Amino acid sequence: MNDDSPRSDNEPGSVEETGVESEDTTDAPDEELVENEPGVDEDGTTGGDKEAAEDGADSGDAETADEADDATEPEDDAKRELTRRVAAIVIGLVVGIVPFFSGVVFFLDPLLRKKNTDNEKPSAGGSGVVKDGDGFLRLAVTREGLPDDGTPQMVTVQDDLVDAWNKFRNVPIGTIWLRKIDGAVTAFNTICPHLGCTVEFRGAERDFYCPCHLSAFELNGEKKNPIPPRDMDSLELKADTGDEIWVRFKNYRGGLTEKLEI
Amino acid sequence: MIRSLLKWLDHRVGYREILHEALYERVPGGARWRYVWGSTLVFTFSVQVITGLFLWTAYSPSAQTAWESVYYIQHEMTWGSVVRGLHHFTAQAMVVLMAIHLVQVIIDGAYKAPREVNFWLGLILMQIVLGLSLTGYLLPWDQKGYYATKVATKIMGATPVVGEELQTLVQGGKEYGHHTLTRFFAMHAGLLPGALMAFLGLHLYVFRRHGLTVKDRDHAPETTFWPDQVLKDGIACLAVLALVLVLAIWKGAELSAPANPSEAYAAARPEWYFLFLFRFLKFEAVEHYGLAFGAIYVPGALMAVVAAMPLIGRAALGHKFNVAFTWSLSIGIGVLTLMAFYEDGTAEDHQAATLEAHRDGERIQELAGGANKIPVTGAVTLLREDPFTQGPRLFAKHCYSCHRYNGHDGRGRLVYEASENGGNRVALPTAVDLGNFASRDWMRAVVVSYSQHFAPLKNAGWFKKAKDGDEILNPDESEMADWSGDIEALTDKKNEKNVDALVEFLVQQAAHHGTSVEARLAKTGREIAVGEAQWQGGIDVSCADCHETIGEQGFVSIPDSDDPSYPNLSGYGSAKWLKDFISNPGAAQHYAGKNQMPSYAKRMTSQELDLLVRWLVKDFQPTSVPPYVDRRKAPPAAETPVNP
Repeated sequence: MNDDSPRSDNEPGSVEETGVESEDTTDAPDEELVENEPGVDEDGTTGGDKEAAEDGADSGDAETADEADDATEPEDDAKRELTRRVAAIVIGLVVGIVPFFSGVVFFLDPLLRKKNTDNEKPSAGGSGVVKDGDGFLRLAVTREGLPDDGTPQMVTVQDDLVDAWNKFRNVPIGTIWLRKIDGAVTAFNTICPHLGCTVEFRGAERDFYCPCHLSAFELNGEKKNPIPPRDMDSLELKADTGDEIWVRFKNYRGGLTEKLEI
Repeated sequence: MIRSLLKWLDHRVGYREILHEALYERVPGGARWRYVWGSTLVFTFSVQVITGLFLWTAYSPSAQTAWESVYYIQHEMTWGSVVRGLHHFTAQAMVVLMAIHLVQVIIDGAYKAPREVNFWLGLILMQIVLGLSLTGYLLPWDQKGYYATKVATKIMGATPVVGEELQTLVQGGKEYGHHTLTRFFAMHAGLLPGALMAFLGLHLYVFRRHGLTVKDRDHAPETTFWPDQVLKDGIACLAVLALVLVLAIWKGAELSAPANPSEAYAAARPEWYFLFLFRFLKFEAVEHYGLAFGAIYVPGALMAVVAAMPLIGRAALGHKFNVAFTWSLSIGIGVLTLMAFYEDGTAEDHQAATLEAHRDGERIQELAGGANKIPVTGAVTLLREDPFTQGPRLFAKHCYSCHRYNGHDGRGRLVYEASENGGNRVALPTAVDLGNFASRDWMRAVVVSYSQHFAPLKNAGWFKKAKDGDEILNPDESEMADWSGDIEALTDKKNEKNVDALVEFLVQQAAHHGTSVEARLAKTGREIAVGEAQWQGGIDVSCADCHETIGEQGFVSIPDSDDPSYPNLSGYGSAKWLKDFISNPGAAQHYAGKNQMPSYAKRMTSQELDLLVRWLVKDFQPTSVPPYVDRRKAPPAAETPVNP
């Protein structure tokens, strides 16, 4: 609809003599600047086109504004006029909303689509990823390969990754800290539960430490200072796997005291 | 409260005056339907901006992601097909409305003084809209858009003096690639819409300055733009929207197969509103003067005449000339468009190409929607490595001149040869039809109607030229033909079970994908093959008597057999057998020197051979794309006019 079409000019019109006229017109538009361009109509005759236009507009406006203000006139004309206005507004809304609404629904797709479970299915094979039906992934490292003194070891987790239309085979999907104490292995996601930086191991302090906002954790994952909202996110390891290590890799939301899966 | 707030706002920004200006434009002679076209154009442009911005949130311009992201929009994202459909069809509506608007303006003489400048602004807007169509057509990076746009950039390259540089600049390089997409996208979503908005602003400003062009002031009492004309405009916009929505939802925007520079696209056509130009360029007379003449000078001259209309209109018969010119041009465009449609609709080649394009489009959807999704190398890899897609093409390249596939060349087309009287006729095959290769029907035919099954060999030149005593494959005269020729015995009711079992055994040997075999029946078949069964009526030679050893699992290959008389049937019809046959048709195990088929080991790559064989043994992701129409029953020697 071109009723709200952009007007690149600021051609000042006359002050409108209408029922909705502003009383407080200290900054009234400059009346002298009226461009009184003599119009040439299609017959080629020049004339007071502009004047006529203003007159027409004024008279038209005066009528319509009156009707709008006190639409109590019981005449058929006024009723028809009202119907036309309502119809115009309704149609205007419909034609505007349909494309916009479709677009908004489309934009909300990430919220509307059902959870993508592709990444949780056992690997179809062929990519080198070993994954069981419960989502446990076999790691390349073994229990035997981990240091015996409990020093944490950072390990990259690989899986098939779906990203919109692509499927990447056997790519890194994250890193974990693995520790072996008396033969028992524990695993933490390396993502800091505070705001998502990567937690480092500090050899001198023998603790975990996040360089972004100074979160610090004990080696058993407990938080050492009040900066992180919760302990480090431990990950589930599959039981009774012998020398192999199988982990259920998950990412969790940051900044919350609760540990919630993404 | 609200009233005083509005008053405050009006005092600060003066919105009432603007609103008043916008709404109470006077409409002498009353609101008319003939004034709606401009408004519908503004409306369609708004729809394009809205849907375009939303599509932008999901579109990824690069040669490996453009098609893929559009596929994702179209088939995976919520309401993606609706938004893309709206954008796709509104673009076409815009071109149509623009043409109507232009014709209306010329007929009503709205280009005359003092509105010349606005007329020219309108013509600039038209060029911008056509530029938007052209750039938008490429963005899905599908075969259709890719090859149609290639023509457009080629035309650009035919521009005198600066053609090559211009083409390179627009393409972002000598060839199409990532930068073609990034450039086209920047033009489509940035430069051109920006220019359009600027010129639209000017166009509307100048339009308001001079007001409507009213032909008949006494048609009805004068009114104002609001609400009478707004209502008519609104209804027109609603009609446009309804039409576009219907098309978007029921027809849907097409997405053909991903662009493949190495795969010619015979169905390439520009968007339908450019078809007239396409058809015009095909005239021999036009071609004679070169591409620049037909695609640049002539359209340029016609546009120049249109642009000069305000000046021509000053002359005594100027307006009449302008109107006549407009109608002639419209009719010319209409006729050329219809010609293009008609010719495409009747040209067998184009129909086949279009069908193949649709099949590829359907197939790629199946592949991209599969569990493995799309590889990082792009969806085009899926089609390149798909036996179902590539097999027919390889067949039509290497095999069709002798073999047929259900009567066609693999790609659904009949095979023609020149006839004596200068026309074309359907050529007879000179080798077996491979449409049902190694299926039950095939195996049965080999067993019970050998001569008939291999009869096409008799059409071959080498067969006709052969003299008595030549070592050739004669489907009528061989031991197998004799065996199979004992038709009374083979079709005897009492032998039916034996034949069924033998066929089942052979089908098992071929091990085609998707063919389930009755293992017990096949086992019986093996026993029959080695001669452990009783036949009624004098069949006393078993398969094993000639075709050498048959092991527990089937025929056993005998390396370096020095008796080439009988083909070795180890794994007959299987992928391995087929590959060996195609590579070494003259080998001892395959009819030796009698086989006239040339070796294809050096005519195709091992990858191609693999795709061809996998297609023939049906080793590919199952498909719902229907097979090509069986053309074996096509009138064989019907004379057709010289192929266009």
